[in-house]
Amino acid sequence: METHIKKELENTIDGKLAKSILRSCVHCGFCNATCPTYQLLGDENDGPRGRIYLIKQLFEGDGSESTEKTRLHLDRCLSCRSCETTCPSGVKYGALLDIGRKLAEDLAPRSREEKKKRKRLQTTLSSPKRFGTLLKAGQLLRPLLPKDTRQKIPKKRLALECPTTIHERKMLILQGCVQPALSPDINTATAIVLDKLGISLIHHKKVKCCGAVSQHLSSEDKAITQIKNNIDAWWDDISNGIEAIITTASGCGVMLKDYPHYLREEGEYLYKAEIVASLSKDISEIIIEENYTSLPIKKTHKLSWHSPCTLQHGQKIIGYVEELLTNTGHTLLPIQDGHICCGSAGTYSILQPELSKQLKHNKLENLTRETPDMIVTANIGCQTHLQQGTEIPVVHWINLFI
Amino acid sequence: MHISPETRTSLLFQLSEILQPEQLLSNKEELRPYECDGLSAYKTLPIAVALPDTIQQIQQIMEICCRNNTPVVARGAGTGLSGGAQPHEGGIILGLARFNKILAIDPDNLTARVQPGVRNLAITEAVRQHKLYYAPDPSSQIACSIGGNVAENSGGVHCLKYGLTVHNILALKIVTVEGDLLTIGSNALDNTGYDLLGLFTGSEGMLGIIVEVVVKLTPDAEDTHLLMAAFNDIEQAGNAVASIIANGIIPAGLEMMDKLAISAAEDFAHAGYPRDAEAILLCELDGSTIDVSEQTQKTKKILTEQGASFIKEAPDKTQQAKLWAGRKAAFPAVGRISPDYYCMDGTIPRKHIAKVLKHITKLSTEFDLRVANVFHAGDGNLHPLILYDANKEGELEKAEQFGAEILRLCVKLGGSITGEHGVGNEKIELMCEQFNTEELTIFHAIKAAFDPNGILNPGKAVPSLHRCAELGHMHVHNGELPHPDIPRF
Amino acid sequence: MNNVRTQLQQRVKTAIAEKTPLRICAGNSKECYGNKIKTNHDIDIKPYSGIIHYEPTELCITVRAGTRLAELEAELSKHQQILPFEPPSFTQNATIGGTVATGLSGPRRPYSGAVRDAILGVTIIDGQGEIVRFGGQVMKNVAGYDVSRLMTGAQGTLGILLDISLRLIPKPEHNITYQLPHSQQEALEYFTNTRHSNLPITASCHHKLQTYIRLSGSEKQLDELVKTYDIQTMEDGDDFWRDIRDQQHDFFQRNDKPLWRISCAPAAPLTQQVDIRTLLEWNGAIRWITSNMPANIIQNIAQKANGEAILFRGHVAGINTFKKPEPTLFRLHQRLKRQLDPKGIFNPNRLYEGL
Ligand SMILES: Cc1cc2nc3c(=O)[nH]c(=O)nc-3n(C[C@H](O)[C@H](O)[C@H](O)COP(=O)(O)OP(=O)(O)OC[C@H]3O[C@@H](n4cnc5c(N)ncnc54)[C@H](O)[C@@H]3O)c2cc1C
Ligand SMILES: Cc1cc2nc3c(=O)[nH]c(=O)nc-3n(C[C@H](O)[C@H](O)[C@H](O)COP(=O)(O)OP(=O)(O)OC[C@H]3O[C@@H](n4cnc5c(N)ncnc54)[C@H](O)[C@@H]3O)c2cc1C
Ligand code: SF4
Ligand code: SF4
Ligand code: SF4
Repeated sequence: METHIKKELENTIDGKLAKSILRSCVHCGFCNATCPTYQLLGDENDGPRGRIYLIKQLFEGDGSESTEKTRLHLDRCLSCRSCETTCPSGVKYGALLDIGRKLAEDLAPRSREEKKKRKRLQTTLSSPKRFGTLLKAGQLLRPLLPKDTRQKIPKKRLALECPTTIHERKMLILQGCVQPALSPDINTATAIVLDKLGISLIHHKKVKCCGAVSQHLSSEDKAITQIKNNIDAWWDDISNGIEAIITTASGCGVMLKDYPHYLREEGEYLYKAEIVASLSKDISEIIIEENYTSLPIKKTHKLSWHSPCTLQHGQKIIGYVEELLTNTGHTLLPIQDGHICCGSAGTYSILQPELSKQLKHNKLENLTRETPDMIVTANIGCQTHLQQGTEIPVVHWINLFI
Repeated sequence: MHISPETRTSLLFQLSEILQPEQLLSNKEELRPYECDGLSAYKTLPIAVALPDTIQQIQQIMEICCRNNTPVVARGAGTGLSGGAQPHEGGIILGLARFNKILAIDPDNLTARVQPGVRNLAITEAVRQHKLYYAPDPSSQIACSIGGNVAENSGGVHCLKYGLTVHNILALKIVTVEGDLLTIGSNALDNTGYDLLGLFTGSEGMLGIIVEVVVKLTPDAEDTHLLMAAFNDIEQAGNAVASIIANGIIPAGLEMMDKLAISAAEDFAHAGYPRDAEAILLCELDGSTIDVSEQTQKTKKILTEQGASFIKEAPDKTQQAKLWAGRKAAFPAVGRISPDYYCMDGTIPRKHIAKVLKHITKLSTEFDLRVANVFHAGDGNLHPLILYDANKEGELEKAEQFGAEILRLCVKLGGSITGEHGVGNEKIELMCEQFNTEELTIFHAIKAAFDPNGILNPGKAVPSLHRCAELGHMHVHNGELPHPDIPRF
Repeated sequence: MNNVRTQLQQRVKTAIAEKTPLRICAGNSKECYGNKIKTNHDIDIKPYSGIIHYEPTELCITVRAGTRLAELEAELSKHQQILPFEPPSFTQNATIGGTVATGLSGPRRPYSGAVRDAILGVTIIDGQGEIVRFGGQVMKNVAGYDVSRLMTGAQGTLGILLDISLRLIPKPEHNITYQLPHSQQEALEYFTNTRHSNLPITASCHHKLQTYIRLSGSEKQLDELVKTYDIQTMEDGDDFWRDIRDQQHDFFQRNDKPLWRISCAPAAPLTQQVDIRTLLEWNGAIRWITSNMPANIIQNIAQKANGEAILFRGHVAGINTFKKPEPTLFRLHQRLKRQLDPKGIFNPNRLYEGL
């Protein structure tokens, strides 16, 4: 598309990036077809092509046209990046949205209340300890709370025993900030499975959040600090030739893989970020390379697989988990609209409750149509979000491997 | 058409009485994304965008606009490539994207009743469980709406055997310019009276608003086979196409891509296209198993005789899907090798394919613009994609001139300036070359029967006689325009 | 031929000037089909005949409207091609112009399309007396409104067809016909099942407890099918279909009761009534009925099946061949007619009274 970035932004790093992305978009509209919000709202402004256009205005116009309406349409975006998978022209929507949001925020600042709300969310969610405490209180009180709030507080899942053997092969693991509190079983299950495959995991206490929460809430500086902190914590191991950095929540995974984008203006860190990104692997990418069919699988199930957006569109990992599960004897049910987001999308479920609810409803309808024994997924966000709307257990697929 | 602030305010007020706030956009920033369709070089801001979700709202909108003489431009998915859904500066956009429900599927009669905003591919997805599909499959099928398909009479890779949109719809519900709701056609195979269904198909939103469509479904073929043939010479590929048809074979699809297109499509789809070939043909054969195997043998023989350097067979669905995926995404995939492209849509008798392609290559050197060719070879429908850079001064104009040259050649060889993308705003001047004054007069007469005041998509599809006269194409008899009694727009 | 063309155009111009309606006549084979035209001025299209352009490799032919169907089909046959819609020719004189103007298709219709589906382009004399051309010889053409299709089935009320371009299909190498003992209900179910199959069916009919199916294809393909399904082929299959197509079959020979043609959704349920003789065609989408029942009952039957009933032959007091459409739709017809034939000279009332 024809693009003329305004003078004052033309030579900035973001301005240049925006230009190259905008120019690669040919305005064909294919992406709208797979965009969850466009499907629900039917407004070009709420689809990727329109959002790209809104962002284009932010970069081209004198700013007089762009108001909180632009910000609203950008806020409604789930960052699911389904549009990226669909786009034949290779438009890097995720990166464009990221810089667009920043600019929208500058041009049309949020109200103080809204800022406060976001701030609160950020501090709670991105600290495992704080989140854990709040959650515990909530879980105890769960039966006493009104239904709406109750649905948002997940039932407690039990932690498992961690293996203690030390193997030759070692990998780093990012435990994540909310996952240990919500579903501690996942990381333990991962440790158990990898132990059986002869791999030990190293976890650094200093690494808390991948940075995504801050990122979602447009608190970029905070995110950058967190990212740098993580890189520093891992750097020794990396220098010593660690095999991989494992993530079990695909939301964290995509964030890690995008570190170079976030540190694009950070000189020497950019180089480190690139190395981190290249080492970063979703647990499925690790296991599929190993002799996993030798693992003792206790029981096979009829499963509905929900591939998180962050896995299929963000990390572009398609078919791995499906292969792992079918090769170990499970039955995968056919799922309609498998490419559509479940509506969890980080903090989205809290900030855009209406749309999020609608998406959850549609997703569960598709996932439960054929009455599965279990719903499996690969991201804690999706898992808790979906579990709020169904009695059928929603688990991380790795749990089926122990 | 200029519109005064008072008229604008009054119109918005009237619309706001029947629409929810989020169904009516009038703020400039929110109108911007509607300023163009898939042809982003042509832009206009409308006064407002209305996003109704009931037929009754559409009727009310039409009544209001009819009363106020406000232009109405319907918009489906906005994937059109001729500026058909480009807004009118004094009018509104009637967005139909919210009408995205499949209302009924009737597997016994092989029909489905759908709302106009339903995506083409969504129909096939919904009826797949009955082993049926909707045959016309424009490359944009993932996104384009059935209403837009009807309005453009869209074709696709399978239209050679299964026909265009017009052959695959049975009935329409339309809202007329006055706001009346009408049904044309029926679930029967033929109807008496004027063929308004045919007339509406391809009418580019100029005659009424399509609010419901009954489509015909096709049963899955028992067997499907896909051949990909590579050629070292583009002319040979062109001749192979003519030869297949001449031998009495009607493939389900017969598509061609040239080197530049192959490479862009391969980057996106990783389909395994040979990057070193000058051209490839994708030839799909379907039907009963015996039939397919017979046709495959015959076709392979023809392709070899015509000089194919190698032939790859894709007998299973996954391989076929991969090979088609690259073809279907070929236009936007070209976005990887050029910031902008201008897509032409001329048709010619098949026997001229090689000749026209050669001429295009010559023009490409003359204009100093690259061209990627991706097209429906089987029905002689060319899609040269002229690559240009819109950021460079004068390049778009150059691309337009180049395109016009190609289309003139098509007309000269007995073809048409558009096979499936429509005239829209883009090819309006070339209409004066394909049709003479008397013929255009008939078009205006038809328009007047449906839309006497010309408020539906004004300025599109059919040029005013004045415009042609200005361009020097008007035959003016005795200093007088013919048929002064017929209104002109 | 240019001469004939100019003469025809001159006749029209005179008629326009004098405001005298014209009855367009060709083979007069379908004269009964439609209302009587009250005028003494006939314009005869027959002299304007002959093939203009035929290129078998392009699967397209352009002919003059007065060309006899028989002549056209003979020429196509030489190149192993056919018209996809297998038009009926009620008499040897039927012309392609009349066929297109009436829009009637034969047994192949559900499988390879109607007249309207095969039409690629037309040249007509319009209501201003001008000779104008629309469409062309290419399969795909969306420039301007589809005037060619508008002319198809318009019964000559919007203009005089001069040249017609049609899409052709390869002639199948072989045809076989088989019969199955079926009640009407069973026949409909059979039709529904076969619609989902890949059988190369090119004609279907049910009459008097028998279903008739024609298959077309290569010899090898048909042999294979005969073996797989243990098909008993009918000896005189081709004659049978010709008789059905041209209405020489016994069913059409009785003239004691009016003949109705119900066009409906193919799987629409049957209505059992006494006093009805029925013949099904087109997979069930055409139901021929001879009956003395009141017109409104027959029309109701059709309406229930989401279709319409045409009084094809015979007289019923107060009933025209075609039922007038509902008022808004009829008004559109009138507006089109007025725009395209402002002086009302082409076949007035032929299609509907007041058009
Ligand atoms: C990458 C790409 C590939 C393409 N490939 C093909 C192809 O292979 N074959 C092909 O035929 N086309 C193709 N197209 C063109 C385009 O997709 C088709 O023309 C499509 O039918 C347009 O549908 P839409 O819903 O996007 O309509 P829009 O672009 O929104 O509108 C198109 C026209 O239809 C009118 N319209 C839309 N909806 C209605 C309605 N409900 N009632 C009345 N009028 C209406 C509009 O006013 C406008 O004039 C392609 C486009 C792209 C971008
Ligand atoms: C008992 C009987 C039953 C029949 N049933 C059928 C039937 O089911 N299907 C069928 O197709 N035919 C039927 N016909 C005859 C049918 O009317 C003709 O056989 C034929 O299809 C029309 O061709 P024609 O040249 O004879 O046209 P004509 O009968 O001369 O004309 C048919 C109509 O087309 C118009 N017309 C003719 N030529 C032109 C032209 N060049 N431009 C504009 N308008 C023109 C005429 O004005 C007239 O309205 C039947 C005839 C009889 C006697
Ligand atoms: S990221 Fe998801 S919600 Fe956002 S525009 Fe893309 S597809 Fe739509
Ligand atoms: S699919 Fe890609 S190129 Fe097409 S409009 Fe969307 S982002 Fe742009
Ligand atoms: S993705 Fe979310 S849960 Fe995981 S570490 Fe990042 S912020 Fe925490």
